[in-house]
Amino acid sequence: MASTDINVGTHTHDDHHHDHHDDHHEELNFFTKYVFSQDHKIIARQFLVTGVLWAVIGVAFSVLFRLQLGWPDESFPILETLLGGWAEGGKLDPEFYYALVTMHGTIMVFFVLTAGLSGTFSNLLIPLQIGARDMASPFMNMLSYWFFFIAGVIMLISLFIQTGPASGGWTAYPPLSALPTASSGSGLGMTLWLASMSMFVVSSLLGGLNYVATILNMRTKGMTMMRLPLTIWAFFFTAVLGVLSFPVLLSACILLIFDRHMGTSFYLSDIWIQGELLTNSAGEIIEGGSPILYQHLFWFLGHPEVYIVILPAMGIVSHVMATNAKKPVFGYHAMVYSIMAITVLGFLVWAHHMFLSGMNPFAGSVFTLFTLLIAVPSAVKVFNWITTLWKGNINFTPAMMFSIGFVSLFISGGLTGIVLGNPALDIGYHDTYYVIAHFHIVMAMAAGFGMFAGIYHWFPKLFNGRMMNANMAYLHFWVTFIGSYCIFWPMHYLGEAGVPRRYFSFSEFDFANGFADLNIFISVAAIVVFFAQFLFIINFFYSIFAGKKMEKLNPWGSNSLEWTTPIVPGHGNWVGKIPEVFRWPYDFSKDGHEITPQTTSEKDLEDIPAVKRIPTR
Amino acid sequence: MAEYYYSKIHPKKFALWLGLGSIIMMFAGLTSAYIVRQAAGDWVFYKIPEVFTYSTIVIVLSSLMMILSIRAAKQGNKSLHRLGLLGTILFGFVFTLLQFRGWDQLTEIGVRLTGNPSGSFLYLISGIHLAHLLGGILVLLIVFIKSLIKKDPVKEILETSNPDRFLGLELASTYWHFVGVLWIYLFCFFYYNTI
Amino acid sequence: MYSLIGILAVALLILILFQLAKAGEYLGLLKGEKEANDRNNQVQATLFLGTLVFGMIGIFWSAWYYSDAFLFLRTPASEHGGAVKNMYFWTLGAILPIFVLTHALLFGFAYIYKKDDSKLSFYYPENNKLELIWMAVPAVVMVFLVLEGMRNWLKIMGPVPEDRTVLVIEATAQQFKWDLRFSGLDGKLGGKSVQLMDPENGNPWGQDWDDKANYDDFFAKDSIVLPVNVPVLVKINSLDVLHSFYLPDFQVKMDAVPGIPTQFWFTPIKTTEQRRVELNQPDYNYELACAELCGKAHFNMRRELFIVEQDQYEDWVKRQEPLYKTLKASASLEEEVEESDETIAAEY
Repeated sequence: MASTDINVGTHTHDDHHHDHHDDHHEELNFFTKYVFSQDHKIIARQFLVTGVLWAVIGVAFSVLFRLQLGWPDESFPILETLLGGWAEGGKLDPEFYYALVTMHGTIMVFFVLTAGLSGTFSNLLIPLQIGARDMASPFMNMLSYWFFFIAGVIMLISLFIQTGPASGGWTAYPPLSALPTASSGSGLGMTLWLASMSMFVVSSLLGGLNYVATILNMRTKGMTMMRLPLTIWAFFFTAVLGVLSFPVLLSACILLIFDRHMGTSFYLSDIWIQGELLTNSAGEIIEGGSPILYQHLFWFLGHPEVYIVILPAMGIVSHVMATNAKKPVFGYHAMVYSIMAITVLGFLVWAHHMFLSGMNPFAGSVFTLFTLLIAVPSAVKVFNWITTLWKGNINFTPAMMFSIGFVSLFISGGLTGIVLGNPALDIGYHDTYYVIAHFHIVMAMAAGFGMFAGIYHWFPKLFNGRMMNANMAYLHFWVTFIGSYCIFWPMHYLGEAGVPRRYFSFSEFDFANGFADLNIFISVAAIVVFFAQFLFIINFFYSIFAGKKMEKLNPWGSNSLEWTTPIVPGHGNWVGKIPEVFRWPYDFSKDGHEITPQTTSEKDLEDIPAVKRIPTR
Repeated sequence: MAEYYYSKIHPKKFALWLGLGSIIMMFAGLTSAYIVRQAAGDWVFYKIPEVFTYSTIVIVLSSLMMILSIRAAKQGNKSLHRLGLLGTILFGFVFTLLQFRGWDQLTEIGVRLTGNPSGSFLYLISGIHLAHLLGGILVLLIVFIKSLIKKDPVKEILETSNPDRFLGLELASTYWHFVGVLWIYLFCFFYYNTI
Repeated sequence: MYSLIGILAVALLILILFQLAKAGEYLGLLKGEKEANDRNNQVQATLFLGTLVFGMIGIFWSAWYYSDAFLFLRTPASEHGGAVKNMYFWTLGAILPIFVLTHALLFGFAYIYKKDDSKLSFYYPENNKLELIWMAVPAVVMVFLVLEGMRNWLKIMGPVPEDRTVLVIEATAQQFKWDLRFSGLDGKLGGKSVQLMDPENGNPWGQDWDDKANYDDFFAKDSIVLPVNVPVLVKINSLDVLHSFYLPDFQVKMDAVPGIPTQFWFTPIKTTEQRRVELNQPDYNYELACAELCGKAHFNMRRELFIVEQDQYEDWVKRQEPLYKTLKASASLEEEVEESDETIAAEY
């Protein structure tokens, strides 16, 4: 292992793990400290800042296509200024509309909610909360970020090429994505999309391997598995999901690359396009492939992917809620087992995305069973969160606001999952706006709220003990919370009316055309929410450099280990020995002690006078 | 008292095992795609070329050399250790050549990459396996070059007390054996699915 | 220009808000941190309560306001639509109370249990009985929904009951249109293959002219017409990329997959006329759409569908001309012009 620059000078204790045998203090220059850093905290920052920048791009794209959907007859000269030939006369080109939709999905799901959320907080919190000096392999960790970075650069390049970025949807179903003649985005844009995704898979794998290895092997003394904060449990299962499902996406991508460039026919069969029968370079007819095969491989990742997105948010929310309600997470064990159940079931439900793909209907009914069963652990979690609030003592910090918002969104979006998971109902709702409403509320918005909760809560640990401005945060919360419902709730009504998703314009169909008012309402809400995010972004970047300095070591009164590090932890996290752990992280309001940090032993406890307040609630 | 209190296995070794799990998932994805596609019908059957049997034998030999080499290293027999490594790498190259020969033979019997998916799958899966194997060869080469470099004698004595002094070698050998076993699995898979 | 001014205005607004927020931070310090914090907790808790009340009102009012457009609230237009509609109400009956209840508890607790420094939270880490209850209850509900859902699904996807005569039609999708083939008098669709496609010589769908069943097959020219109360089996296929055969009014949707034929059967039970009267929209039409992203004109693959009485349907069928007949006519016409070209005619 490379440098273990532990800025602590004093400790030369012999109980160092063997990895640290070559302890030496290496002078770090700007590059090794901030760019090619192997410190998990710096890598977390890199993931976060990159994720935030991608979020701005991804959300801006959604505003662009919402302009089209809200005001299909208007022209917006600014679009021509921004997009040039893709929006001649201020009208979005349909081809580019689909490119925007595709890029919005890809960027938000992979770059923001996977890398930005789980990349940031797994990196930051795993070593800090389990009591480790760094990850199992800091070098691999660094590689993980840089592969993500390369994936981002490739995707960014694809936005500027002549034929436009990939435009076959974030799922990239062949044959549309395999045939450059079928859509202009399926040319070079799709090639770059596949390259970018492959890089991203590598990044996720390197990250995930590290997270699991670190959690299982590098916990400090006393930190048994059942004393781990729920954040760590969530990151652990997220990483397991990623490690087992991302390779399958890579397989899917490789087969697609071969179909596109080598003339194989894994996914293609009997295709007549542009007035010609599809043949390979040798002139043979392409036949024998199955597009449904791709869908199976894709959704084998694609479905676990939504849990990869939501589980870290669940972990963060559980932890933040307990901390700010000063009350133990209700049913810690049930929470852990429900995450476990979600992880296992998450692998067994992928085909519910494919009820109407031409797959065997009997197979469909098996997937229904698992799909609706996943509602059970989800329900357990929701009830546990609510019970955590019951008789609590809730301090509404910005992070707490977003956590409560998360639970609300998770309920609203999760319940419609019960509707969609039922194949008989899915016939009507499949590929309509109902689906858009469902997954944006339960996955995108909820995970976004989890991410905001995490950022507001751990900002001082991320950025040198500075805090974000709370008033801005409250404003940000309320506009975003009400705004999210205003954007996505009305989409249920569109779905109830059968309006299909991914329509550039609704004017061609009578059944889809009567909702101009709803579409304008949604678009206005989307624009307002988009601009409200600048309340966050300004606050974020301002606070990095000039935020109020944290005065206490433990500003939110948390029990977990990360707040026992110095205000600005160096590389190696703790000065001197890593503290020993004596209890679980949720001993709040126990025996008259409002908080009891994990590092407090029973003996220490005797010395601390209890705050006997009358009465406990 | 170590800082990593619950560590029974070196974290890096653990990470490698996990990584192998992830490679297994990739090949599980590919081979199940093969089965699903085969079940859908319109499938051309053929016999897998004999060369692949030889390459299977070669990969087993290579793994044996690896075992020899690591045992020698632990006994302090440096030259045998190096020789074993070299043998492992050489057999690795032979395997690579045999795979290419196998693909040639496939083409000769009319099974081409661009034809029926039954053939495409064989090329693709064995190709991806070979890519993993070449990665292994690269790692072995690095280990081999490292073994050639003369060390400071003082440091070397200090090293002997380090339980992890063979970590790099062990990681490389675990990976190498895995790639070998993976090929044996793939060979059996193709053998029983192509007749 | 307007957009620029708009963006500048928003930027200014955000800056002002930022300044106010910073000022609020200092103000809070002046007033004393504890007092500011208590006030804030009171404000946020009240806002949550307000969100609960006004949010619920807004949600139920807007749902009622748009309910005219909800397909499930109409009388079903297809036979299986009825079963699905029941399923819809069962599911709504399960999720709506949970939705209201959990939100009432969530925001209610947030309001009631805002921070009070004179009290300590209730240390209540676990209660297995409770966990068991709220695991078992959803599980039972889910099992019921799963069983109902599967039963309906398998019935819809299963074969057409044998005692019913079925009308087989074929939908072929390509960028960006639907072509509907009817079997004509013999009730059989002739063979068809992409490899026989030859648009230049009048065979744009690759019909196999060696198959006599093809002779009377015809493609619907303008609107698609189907008889009421007759099971219709739609064989669905695609020539290029994925499409999806989507009839919103009938709860019908199935992907069109190149190389892999799919199908869906349904029985229309409301004629277009009946629907128009019922909805009080004299120009209402059933529509066929594409529901799987297929390229730049995905949103524009419309066909109109008319459900008519059996006799009207038969009239319509009589007016349609099979492709084979058209071809033959034009072939014989050519024959007259170029007498030597007898091969085509011989083929037919």
